[in-house]
Amino acid sequence: MKDYFKNVWLGVWTALIGMRITIDHLFRKNVTVQYPNVHPKDKAGWMDMPSNARNRLYVDMDECNGCNSCARACPVNCISIETVRSVPGDAPPPLASGGKRNLWVSQFEIDFTKCCFCSLCTEACPTGAIVMTTEFEYSSYNRYDLVYNFVKLQNSMSDEKIAEVKEKWAEHQKEKKKEAVEPK
Amino acid sequence: MEDLLFYLFAFVVIGSASVVVLSKNIMYSAFSLLFTFFGVAGLYVLLFADFVALTQIMVYIGGILVLIIFGVLLTTKITGVDIKSGTTGKVQLITASVVVVIIAISLILLFTNVEWVNQEFVQPNTTIDSIGFAFMTKYLLPFEIAAVLLLIALVGATLIARRK
Amino acid sequence: MEEANFVFNMIGENWIAFAIISLLPMIFLLAYALIAILGELKISAFIQERLGPMRTGPWGIIQPVAEVVKLLQKEDITPDSANKPLFNLAPFIMFAASYAGFAVIPFSSYFVPSGINLGLFFLLAVGSLGIIGLLMGGWASNNKYSLLGGLRAVAQIVSYEIPAAMVILTIAVMAGSLDLQEIIRQQSGWFWNWFVFGGSGGWIKIIFLPFSFIMCIIYIIASLAETNRTPFDIPEGESELVAGYHTEYSGMKFAMFFFAEYANMFIVSAIITIIFFGGWNSPFGDFMGGPIWGVFWFVSKAFVFVFLQIWLRWTLPRLRVDQLMYVSWKVLLPFSFVCFLALSLLVMLK
Ligand code: SF4
Ligand code: SF4
Repeated sequence: MKDYFKNVWLGVWTALIGMRITIDHLFRKNVTVQYPNVHPKDKAGWMDMPSNARNRLYVDMDECNGCNSCARACPVNCISIETVRSVPGDAPPPLASGGKRNLWVSQFEIDFTKCCFCSLCTEACPTGAIVMTTEFEYSSYNRYDLVYNFVKLQNSMSDEKIAEVKEKWAEHQKEKKKEAVEPK
Repeated sequence: MEDLLFYLFAFVVIGSASVVVLSKNIMYSAFSLLFTFFGVAGLYVLLFADFVALTQIMVYIGGILVLIIFGVLLTTKITGVDIKSGTTGKVQLITASVVVVIIAISLILLFTNVEWVNQEFVQPNTTIDSIGFAFMTKYLLPFEIAAVLLLIALVGATLIARRK
Repeated sequence: MEEANFVFNMIGENWIAFAIISLLPMIFLLAYALIAILGELKISAFIQERLGPMRTGPWGIIQPVAEVVKLLQKEDITPDSANKPLFNLAPFIMFAASYAGFAVIPFSSYFVPSGINLGLFFLLAVGSLGIIGLLMGGWASNNKYSLLGGLRAVAQIVSYEIPAAMVILTIAVMAGSLDLQEIIRQQSGWFWNWFVFGGSGGWIKIIFLPFSFIMCIIYIIASLAETNRTPFDIPEGESELVAGYHTEYSGMKFAMFFFAEYANMFIVSAIITIIFFGGWNSPFGDFMGGPIWGVFWFVSKAFVFVFLQIWLRWTLPRLRVDQLMYVSWKVLLPFSFVCFLALSLLVMLK
């Protein structure tokens, strides 16, 4: 009997609490904006997009060490990375944050037609090279325009440089083989 | 205008009642009962029996008709019988016709032979007061018996539902 | 008793007057439906801190018109395996049933479409008419979700009619009348004469205040269930039954169901206003009284309850079927019995 009355009272009381919360929200400021007319970034009082917003990815090639973690984390396999090992004595420039680098990143492609904006790649990256930006207006008439090659885009390695490091590595391999065949 | 309305309601009642009887589809029969009840309620209104008319709508449409439809829906689903009733057999047809004709003839005889007293008609302002007084004074016992009967039915229904 | 209808006073009791009287609530209903649809869209948006419709007209205020136009010109699909006559009839019955309720709603002391002295009983009676339309639409669609929705609707409405009827019975006892105008007239004067505050009378009624409050809450809950609004929208629960009994309907016929739902919302709000909140009476004695202001008070009071329904819709989640039955039979009904006895005692003491 006591439980029954308590139940009824709780039912009414919790409904009232819920109503208080919703009426409170009714008079709050709207968080959404009238998008094409007002850009979210222009909304007064907004410094930037919300921290958990998912938009276009950006890869800082000066920070990327080519570890391939992001490509492995990606559930839809839209990141494809090609690296070239560096020969001893010809290491790539260190990371902007100071870490050592052993790989030349010759290609870093993100296919945004496939990307589902899960942001798993940004969490996997050990150096924080791949990040979400606030940019989301990048639709295009050609789907190949949505495949971004960040190496080309940032010109971190020119084609000649890529060819050169590939050559060097091939030579290095050859030398190694030779060494293996006829040891000193 | 009253005559017009009367014939309208009478037409609705008779038309839908014949659908109830003649339709091969039980659902049609059940749903045309709606119009029958409604037409009867309209006739009650024309007789200045507004309380009875509303009770008709409330009890027959809101209660009994819903129960009938529910019954039709549930039983056909359970036993898997086709919802369309089969054609009526010859025997039933003849018996029913005979009974109906006998009742009709006796009703017509009754209407023509009784000397009806034409009373000066006063439009009652409200019927509910007189109905209430009649229930609580002259017809108290039938009223109470009906109430007790309904209570027994209610308790019985609860009991049957509990046993399962 | 004064003549209760200004149309009759103006042009006499003839055919034109009858036609006007039966069409006036329809005009009101159309205007109200547009406002209520906009209200539903905007209030839901604001509660969720969105903007809501913004494109049609300034701040989207013509959005309901756009929606109605869209519904009108949509293709009207009747499923192949549906039972055509009943399928087409159901929306009309639904709408006719809810429009019938408007016949006795007193908008002002000088306008009530039909001033019969059984108004309250009439509202109760035609309230049960719509069930048939639901059941018909649910069955004729030949769709398991529709049928389930229809059955659930009936079970729900039949259960919740009983507490609602208890409340109405209490009001009949307190007012000693079933005539809506008479009930409203008894609540005239200041707002403490409203039945939600125990009606007019001496200080003794203060003891009974909780009971009349509870009665009012019981009726609001029961009326939510009778109009199939959240948290009692089990018959049309989108997540379980697609849209319940009107899953298969589209275009104009869907609009009729939609319209009937909004009309029902107004009718129950009007009933709450009439039986608990003094109908067209001004809350402050003679301040802004009179028949014209009466319309204003009546409509604005009713709109408060329409708003309450919308507000509740965006607050509470849907109940389970067994919880629904529990609330009706084990909570509302015993409480309404107790309150009925208490308020009858109040009437005897007065
Ligand atoms: S956001 Fe997700 S889908 Fe897109 S590139 Fe990163 S891991 Fe792949
Ligand atoms: S996880 Fe980071 S560092 Fe590694 S390849 Fe991807 S972007 Fe470069």
